[in-house]
Amino acid sequence: MQLRPSICIHLGILVLALSVFPALAHHGWSGYGEEEFEIKGTVERGVSLAGPHATMRIRADGKVWDITLAPPPRTQASGLKEGVIPVGAEVTIHGHRNKDPKRLEVKTERVTWKDRTFNVYPDRK
Amino acid sequence: MYEFMAWLQGSPLGHAMRESGVWTYGFVNLVHILAIASLFGSVLVLDLRLLGVWNSIALPAVSRPAVPVATAGFGVAATTGVCLLATKATEYVGNPFLYIKFCAIGMGVLNVIALNRLPAWKQHRNRVLTPEEQQKLRVFGGLSLAAWLAAITAGRMIAYW
Repeated sequence: MQLRPSICIHLGILVLALSVFPALAHHGWSGYGEEEFEIKGTVERGVSLAGPHATMRIRADGKVWDITLAPPPRTQASGLKEGVIPVGAEVTIHGHRNKDPKRLEVKTERVTWKDRTFNVYPDRK
Repeated sequence: MYEFMAWLQGSPLGHAMRESGVWTYGFVNLVHILAIASLFGSVLVLDLRLLGVWNSIALPAVSRPAVPVATAGFGVAATTGVCLLATKATEYVGNPFLYIKFCAIGMGVLNVIALNRLPAWKQHRNRVLTPEEQQKLRVFGGLSLAAWLAAITAGRMIAYW
């Protein structure tokens, strides 16, 4: 017996329905605001080059922000290795803020510390 | 849940994933995807055959290569999956897609266990199945496809939450 056309149609609809699922955050930039965002703070937890994206935490105005960097190899290539910036150092984060106003998270394009700038996404302004 | 994730993250496996180089996560991720491709690719062919496509090919001719490839794929995917999760396990607490994924995997595995207890499946290597038996296997093929599609979809969505 051949595959009934109705099964093909159902599978087709299922695949289409799954593929249009909205991309939300973390990967790519679609989960982040369009406008450039800059924040100054002190390093709460240093750079971690682990997982899908490198991360760090800073404290700004008493609040802790999650700083999402590029994937680990790319973050390291910008010179931003683990331990380079000490905990407590004052840094400026430039990037895009999470679209969800309740989430204190910045997807980072560059990190400035003293006179050093780490361009983790050098192809983005 | 948080306690379990914290334990997993703090385990030697979590430490190894975080402290063994910047490419570790990417490499384990690659192996995870290859394993999923092996699992789903072979399951897809077998499930479509159970659903009635390529009925001219004898079922054992499809199941003999598909089952071991799928089993190996599942084993590697599950192992690498635990490694990926252990890297930063606590960050996934509250991610609904992780729970959906685990439920879907559970359904897929239960479906396999039930299929292996089914007389029609036990007999399919020894004789041609009756239309009624083929009809039963069709249900398992459909459920399997739904479960693994849901698992992969939810798994991909974890990163976008």
